Amino acid sequence: MGRFINAMVLPAIFAVFPVAVKAQDCKYLVHGVVIDKGHHPIPGVFVHLVNDSLGTATDTSGSFTFPNICSGSHTIACESIGYKKISLTTDVTADKFLTITMSNDENELGEVVISGEKKHVLQTVTTQEIKGLALLQTRGETLGETLKEMPGMNSIQTGPGLSKPVIHGLHSNRVLLINDGIRQEGQQWGSDHAPEIDPFVANKITVVKGAASVRYGADAIGGVVLLEPDDLPTEKSLNGNIYAIAASNGHAGTVSGTLQGAFDKKLEGLSWRVQGTLKEAGNFYTPNYYLINTGLKEGDFSGNVTYKWKHVNFNLYYSQYNTETGIFAGAESSSPKDLAEKIASSRPLVPSYFSYDINRSYQTVAHDLLKASVNYKFANNSKLDLIFGRQKDLRQEYDAGLPYTTNLDLLNKPQLSFKLVTHSLDLIYTSAIKNGFSGSVGITGNTSGNVFGGIRYLIPNFRDYNAGAFAIERYNYKKFTFEGGLRYDYRWLRVYQRNPTTLALYNTTYSYQNVTGTIGATYRYNAHLNFTGNIGTAWRAPSINEMYINGEHFSSASYEVGDSTLKSERSVNTSLSVNYTGNKFRLIADMYYNKIGNYIYSQPQMRSVTLVSGTYPLFQYTQNNVNIKGIDLSMQYDLTSHLSIQSKTTIVLGYNESIHDYLIYMPANRFENGVTYQFHKIWKLNEPYLTVEQLTISKQDRVPPNVDFAPPPAGYTLINVNAGFTAPFFHHLLTVNIGVTNIGNTAYRDYLNHFRYYADDLGSNYVLRLKYSF
Amino acid sequence: MKKKSFLLFTTSILILIFWGSCKKEEQAVAAPQPDNEFITTVQLKATNTVDATDTPSAKWVKLNPADTAAPDLSHATLSLKKNASYNVQVKFLDESKTPVGDITQEVLTRANYHLVCFNVASGLSLTVSPTDHDTNVPALPIGLSNLFSTNTVSSGHLEVLLHHQPNVKNGDCAPGSIDADVNFTVTIN
Repeated sequence: MGRFINAMVLPAIFAVFPVAVKAQDCKYLVHGVVIDKGHHPIPGVFVHLVNDSLGTATDTSGSFTFPNICSGSHTIACESIGYKKISLTTDVTADKFLTITMSNDENELGEVVISGEKKHVLQTVTTQEIKGLALLQTRGETLGETLKEMPGMNSIQTGPGLSKPVIHGLHSNRVLLINDGIRQEGQQWGSDHAPEIDPFVANKITVVKGAASVRYGADAIGGVVLLEPDDLPTEKSLNGNIYAIAASNGHAGTVSGTLQGAFDKKLEGLSWRVQGTLKEAGNFYTPNYYLINTGLKEGDFSGNVTYKWKHVNFNLYYSQYNTETGIFAGAESSSPKDLAEKIASSRPLVPSYFSYDINRSYQTVAHDLLKASVNYKFANNSKLDLIFGRQKDLRQEYDAGLPYTTNLDLLNKPQLSFKLVTHSLDLIYTSAIKNGFSGSVGITGNTSGNVFGGIRYLIPNFRDYNAGAFAIERYNYKKFTFEGGLRYDYRWLRVYQRNPTTLALYNTTYSYQNVTGTIGATYRYNAHLNFTGNIGTAWRAPSINEMYINGEHFSSASYEVGDSTLKSERSVNTSLSVNYTGNKFRLIADMYYNKIGNYIYSQPQMRSVTLVSGTYPLFQYTQNNVNIKGIDLSMQYDLTSHLSIQSKTTIVLGYNESIHDYLIYMPANRFENGVTYQFHKIWKLNEPYLTVEQLTISKQDRVPPNVDFAPPPAGYTLINVNAGFTAPFFHHLLTVNIGVTNIGNTAYRDYLNHFRYYADDLGSNYVLRLKYSF
Repeated sequence: MKKKSFLLFTTSILILIFWGSCKKEEQAVAAPQPDNEFITTVQLKATNTVDATDTPSAKWVKLNPADTAAPDLSHATLSLKKNASYNVQVKFLDESKTPVGDITQEVLTRANYHLVCFNVASGLSLTVSPTDHDTNVPALPIGLSNLFSTNTVSSGHLEVLLHHQPNVKNGDCAPGSIDADVNFTVTIN
């Protein structure tokens, strides 16, 4: 078993850091902390640098220090009675802090986690990641739900099947999704358009909270979600894992599997992975009734081949994502009158029963991604990446009612259809660390074409070209890291339309350009405490719906009018983070102030529009200066070596400076308090744990008056329970997790769930998650 | 060799990009579907039950749905005699097309999914009772054909609603969504 883990983990580390480095510069500090899987520091661990014949023991806080270490590759081995001996290789080019996780000896089931090496380019921006056990506990959920466990994150929902991540109050086209290095280009402008990504492709998800346009380009006003897969194996092997997940609510089932391998001899350097996910759910239930037509089906797969030849790495990746999602039948409000009637009713007027059937209305989404990249590593460890991506996003929406036509072809067509095809090409040079300096420069370009189909007009066709160039430099000096970056972006947009009466084609062209920057610093007071501050800017061009939408907005029973003269949004985000990792107490506090100029939103007008289907309040897209500030706080305290308490707080305050009022749809205060008991071993079960957590969402009182269709719902408190263990099973490792959300089956409505107008949120959900690694 | 393969890869990528982006599918904006009908007009055609020559009618028109201008209400007044009964047909039309599309037929074809409802303003002495039924078991009213009974001299609004109730029709107006919701003025003399 142990050999197997080494076979999986160590090659991954070797792959990142080739062994031979000749430069000798013996002044670096290699230090770190050794912890167990419960994140408790382990004192008295013998840590030695194998090649240098240096050794030391960890102190009572699990810390170790090696001063005056030469640059280059070093193998670090850790040994302690009761723990499995591990060794890992790390590349030293600057002072380095390592977090080494050791697992208990008797089970040999642990995994090595190195978090000393930060992968993302911006280091002084607030980031948070989810992986390992925390990620396992969310498996089977949508991407939006997966991320809402993190402080500072929420999700905006349109029923149980559709949710989107919200970073510091911002979402949709203000949150950028990067899937394995490729900007996700879908139809993110709609708040009911969920991310077209299978969360199972990632084994680590990092959220960059705050403006990060410098590295990732336009749209990163709220932040960036980075989905990263595992590294491919490099030594001859064949392994994989299977997830099987069953949930009581919606009678939902998910199966996902990964198979990967690498070759040797003549095919050395060639490795591959295939991965796929199938998911089905029926009607979900609230504590008192089923939500009719909320079932969903999802089928995704991906394949990846990489070939390493000397200093060059070729990679080819293809993935496909397909879903069909029912839209709750009780939420079809076609007019304000209809909406008012449904809001007034205490429960939906539609019948309540369980079924897997998906009827109208529903939406289907198919997203294809082809990625080809080549990476060249220079002798001095600098590298050059060339990444090409092609994405095709096809989104089709079927209204509840068939169109009024006698033409059978039309009858079966979706009312709305959007096809967006994007090609992108990025060239990025990342320099090796020299005299404390490191950095990256890059040029990026992409072009998208959107084709509107269907039979109900919503947004026009367009073609855009985007180009950007950036440079980011970082300097490590003693206890400080300084970072600065600059970027220029240009966007060209041409909109194609047809005159409704003469049917003549015409087009309109727009261009936008922006300079963004970032500057930040980290101060490491000691091994336990550090401070990080950053000021970063971001920008976003108005999206096509904000410019051109003209008509009734079905999901909100309003009439929306776009404005094609809107200017770019620009934001300046200031953040300050404190990170304390002590013996028994850990604290992360992120404070931020995000000032957004020309923030685009649909503003209620003091008049209405009468259509045949009713009289609608008129909303017009407009721009104002707004600010969003808040704090994300997470704390953990170990009462004993087995028992710990955790607390997370998310507070977001959004304010419109131009009209002196609150911003609508900002997340309410969120408080999560939990207690975890980690057993040592029960029978053959390793590291069993039990977490009981209380989640409290306050009532959102910070709302603008007379804009919403219904007042914000009351606050609520839910109790969630999580338990699990790992166990050997047919010579391999089985990970079991049982999660219960809303164990009290409490009826509640959430301010950020669009269905709050119509129905309660979900009742209790018992989920069994199995992961078998082989 | 190394450089060669790198160049080859880069070139093939560039070719792929241009090949892909040169299709310019977006420039051919799809014309509106001629067979797709949308309701522009709601019409009430009344026939006095005792006097076949007394046929008042009214219509509510909004030709362009993507238009924030007010609807055409110049013919939206229905004049009825007091203490009379009228058979009233409700018609849903697409007058943006030539010839005019008749959506009433499609409503009738899917009668089990549709219900026309009426709200009579207080003060207007009018009662409306549907006379047609669908094929649900038990049969439920449709509301395309109705009997209007007038009483005293009065006037006021009559709201006509076309409810779309796929799989949820139960005789009540509330379930489903609303495809049409227009106000006529009715004068009873």
